[in-house]
Amino acid sequence: MIQLKNLDKFIESRFQRVFILKGIDLTINEGEFLTLMGPSGAGKSTLLNILGLLDEDYEGDYSFGDRSIKSMKERERSALHKSEFGYIFQAYHLIDELTVYENIETPLLYRNVSSSERKSIIANLMDRFNMVAKKDLFPAQLSGGQQQLVGIARAVAGRPRVLLADEPTGNLHSGQAKEIMEIFQELHREGTTIIQATHARENADFGTRLINMLDGKIESDEAI
Amino acid sequence: MWKNYLKISFRNLRKRKLYTGINLLGLTVALVSFIVIALYINHEWSYDRMYADYDRIYKINQEFVSNGESQLVGSSPSLLPVTLLEEFPEVENATLIFDLSIFSSVMIDAGEGSQEENHYAMVDEHFFEVFDFDLIAGQKTGILSEPNQIVLTESTAKRYFGSAFNAEGKSLKVDGKDFLITGVMEDFPSNSHLAFEFLASFKSHRHSREPEWSPSNYYNYVKLKPGTDVAAFEANMAEMVEKYLGADLAEYGYETAFFTQPVTNIHLGDPTLSTIKPGTDIKYIYIFGVVAILLIAIGIINYVNLATAEATERNKEVGLRKVMGADRVQLFGQFVSESMILSMGAILFSILVIYLVAIPFENFGGVPLDLNLLFSPIGITSLLGLFLAVGLLAGFYPSLILSGMEPMKALGNKLKIGGGAWVRKSLVVFQFFVSMGLLISTFVVKSQLDFMREVNLGYDKEQVVALNYHYNMRESIPTLREEMIRSGAAVSIARAADMPHDVKAGYKIFPGGDNSREFMITGYAVDPDLIETINLELLAGENYTESDPVRRGLEENGEMPILLNESAIAEMGWTSQDAIGKKINVGFTNNAIVKGIVKDFYFSSLHQKVGPMVIFNDPEEANVLLIKLAAGNPTANLASIEAVWKKLVPGRPFNPKFLDQEYANLYQSEQKVGLIFGLFSGIAIFIACMGLFGLVSYVALRRTREISIRKVLGATQGDVLKVLSLDFLKLLGVSAVLAIGFGIWFSDSWLAAFANRTALTIWPFVIAILAVLILAVLTIGYRSWKVFRLNPSKTLKSE
Repeated sequence: MIQLKNLDKFIESRFQRVFILKGIDLTINEGEFLTLMGPSGAGKSTLLNILGLLDEDYEGDYSFGDRSIKSMKERERSALHKSEFGYIFQAYHLIDELTVYENIETPLLYRNVSSSERKSIIANLMDRFNMVAKKDLFPAQLSGGQQQLVGIARAVAGRPRVLLADEPTGNLHSGQAKEIMEIFQELHREGTTIIQATHARENADFGTRLINMLDGKIESDEAI
Repeated sequence: MWKNYLKISFRNLRKRKLYTGINLLGLTVALVSFIVIALYINHEWSYDRMYADYDRIYKINQEFVSNGESQLVGSSPSLLPVTLLEEFPEVENATLIFDLSIFSSVMIDAGEGSQEENHYAMVDEHFFEVFDFDLIAGQKTGILSEPNQIVLTESTAKRYFGSAFNAEGKSLKVDGKDFLITGVMEDFPSNSHLAFEFLASFKSHRHSREPEWSPSNYYNYVKLKPGTDVAAFEANMAEMVEKYLGADLAEYGYETAFFTQPVTNIHLGDPTLSTIKPGTDIKYIYIFGVVAILLIAIGIINYVNLATAEATERNKEVGLRKVMGADRVQLFGQFVSESMILSMGAILFSILVIYLVAIPFENFGGVPLDLNLLFSPIGITSLLGLFLAVGLLAGFYPSLILSGMEPMKALGNKLKIGGGAWVRKSLVVFQFFVSMGLLISTFVVKSQLDFMREVNLGYDKEQVVALNYHYNMRESIPTLREEMIRSGAAVSIARAADMPHDVKAGYKIFPGGDNSREFMITGYAVDPDLIETINLELLAGENYTESDPVRRGLEENGEMPILLNESAIAEMGWTSQDAIGKKINVGFTNNAIVKGIVKDFYFSSLHQKVGPMVIFNDPEEANVLLIKLAAGNPTANLASIEAVWKKLVPGRPFNPKFLDQEYANLYQSEQKVGLIFGLFSGIAIFIACMGLFGLVSYVALRRTREISIRKVLGATQGDVLKVLSLDFLKLLGVSAVLAIGFGIWFSDSWLAAFANRTALTIWPFVIAILAVLILAVLTIGYRSWKVFRLNPSKTLKSE
């Protein structure tokens, strides 16, 4: 489904190019649960952003399905971004001004989902993540684990085929982290392709493939 | 989608109470000014459009040309409408208005004692055919076609008789003569240039029996047939002049022409043409319009500045929404909906405020605000348009900036909105440029007003009281004078045809006797006591005396002594010494002997230079008593004078006018302009300072940590103020430079309308700029004081 060929990302400093990603070749098939590991600065987040079409400043080729991203028009990229990807962040990144319900609703609004359909989708998600009682609370009133649950619910609300998660458990204690990973596993079983970046080796065990990164390069690529 | 936008926007606005408050208050104040000015301009613009076929109604003005000098007057002779009706096929109708209030007031008696009335005119029987005002009582056919008939307006009828229907058929006395009330009409609307309370039939006046081509004392109007070529009509009138007046014109050596003025152009038209109600100078309509737009701009700029300054705070939200799939249009929609809500709120508040200020404004500006207009279809459409325009203009740029942020940068908080800062700075410069510019203009207007009040006019206006009297009181005047002087309340009393600050009569000096020059001269008919009463300075020769011959009653070839002013002898090329004893022709006599020379004094508004003047004795012409009060309590003196008046001429109104007050009234329109400018600059400064407060608050918030560190390192409050205000003060400096440029241009062009003007000093500039700067520093100071008071241990811990 996703194919990267000889992908470079660099920043020009005064005397030299500093590479953040260098010579990345990567193929990801539909239905994989892939974990990116490596120390800070290895390029995990950058790679996730490029995969999620949030960063278009790179060289090399990125194809989604059988089409090259670079050949797409802005509008097509934006449509692809909307329909195929969901995002989960380490810092949850919920909108502080919105309630739990409204946070989950936001991506649906941008996808022009009708009001009644929105209601049923959100009702299902709240049910599934046990958040019905919290639907009118604001993010600041929730614990970290609960906030991340809302983050996940928001990411999957639009039924994306690919879920991108950048250190989803980085701010959580181990019990909460395990809970999140189990949800990922469940989503994976339902057919969602998941790509996560993490520091924690134990999180990789929930997935199907592990890639180690160092200094912007892929060090190893193994199935689990 | 929109429901969601609105909900979120409301929540955001509520959360940021300070910014929302500043924006709402600023926009409301700006909108109130804008709507009030718009209503005022609309009122001035709507003049004389209420008559059916108003586009075919014209006033006829007259031009006199002699020696290449042209003079336009707003009136024309009484024979004109009659001739036009009889001989011009293109004239559908014509009417005449004889506005008697320009000569004197009338006494009206409806059986309960007489009252003085000023809005009294005579009109011919075609008046209601040309101006289709409704009659509340009475029949339009044949109305005012017989002598001694009168029509009252509704409110006048109520005042005298309780109701319109009570008044019809009754009679009342006008200056002792009986008039039958044959109708009651609706009141003249405030936006009609016609403003009377009594319309008597012109047939009641002796002048109606033999209409003449001279004098031109009447306001005449025609209604042309549809499709008439106005230029051709004026050409036909030129032929008529040739036919009836050709011989006379040739004899007296002048030319005349009649020209048309659309009735809708009267109010905002040439201000030198006389008309029934003082018009409005269209220049001020434009100035007020521009000011209204500037005020709105300042309010909108507050929003733009605060919203872009805030953008950095909101970049996380924007980034997230983008990650979740929002495209730029959707984000734009959300941010614009915030400004739209504010705009709507401000409009609603301002309508509320306008209802509260309408009455004070009416008293202050003398213009009724038609609030019903706000809820007419046009009013609602305009308000909606205003709502959209303000919302979009305010929201457009900030929304563009906010929606254009790159999501990952925004999420990473790495973003500094650099581009916005430049725009923000320019906008602040613009706001304070407008504020300072308006304030400088206010002070320029004020310094000219002060100049006019304090300038040496060449005569004493203090402690001089004027009493108008009716021509049929002439017999009692000598006794009246003696009694007043004897009472000890008056020092000196003169009879005059005009008050000295506004002498109107124009005469012509012809070559004759020892004079070889011909020119226009203002004539002032007064008795010999004027010189003493208003303390005119005699430069040479002497005053004429009571025993000298007077104008009326002058024998054939009898010599008549006159006084000339300095300008007059300068015009003739004489010196004061050799002028004395010379003989000249002043139009009414060619045997005028120059007996004395008076120093120039300002006998009309300071808009004009002092021109040549001849002073002569003509008590018959006089209708005002100028009384120099004795030293001491003016109220007591006035009371003694009133007692004499009441004793000798009971039933005549006693309306003393202080000369200095009357002089000040000459500049009423300028005073009003000064007040309005002052008000507007106050509003502009207020809104701009609020915006400044918001911006400084934002900067202070961002730099709280820095300021705390500085405080720990020993910074005083003054240092903090300096840190926070320096950037803004630089901007204000730029505004000041621009405002000085504008102020110079403004004072040049505004003062150009005055022949006698104050010398331009730097004070209006210094005071205005300092005032704004001080207010700005106070605004910043308050904010920096609040930041300074914060406990550094708390603010630094949050890092």
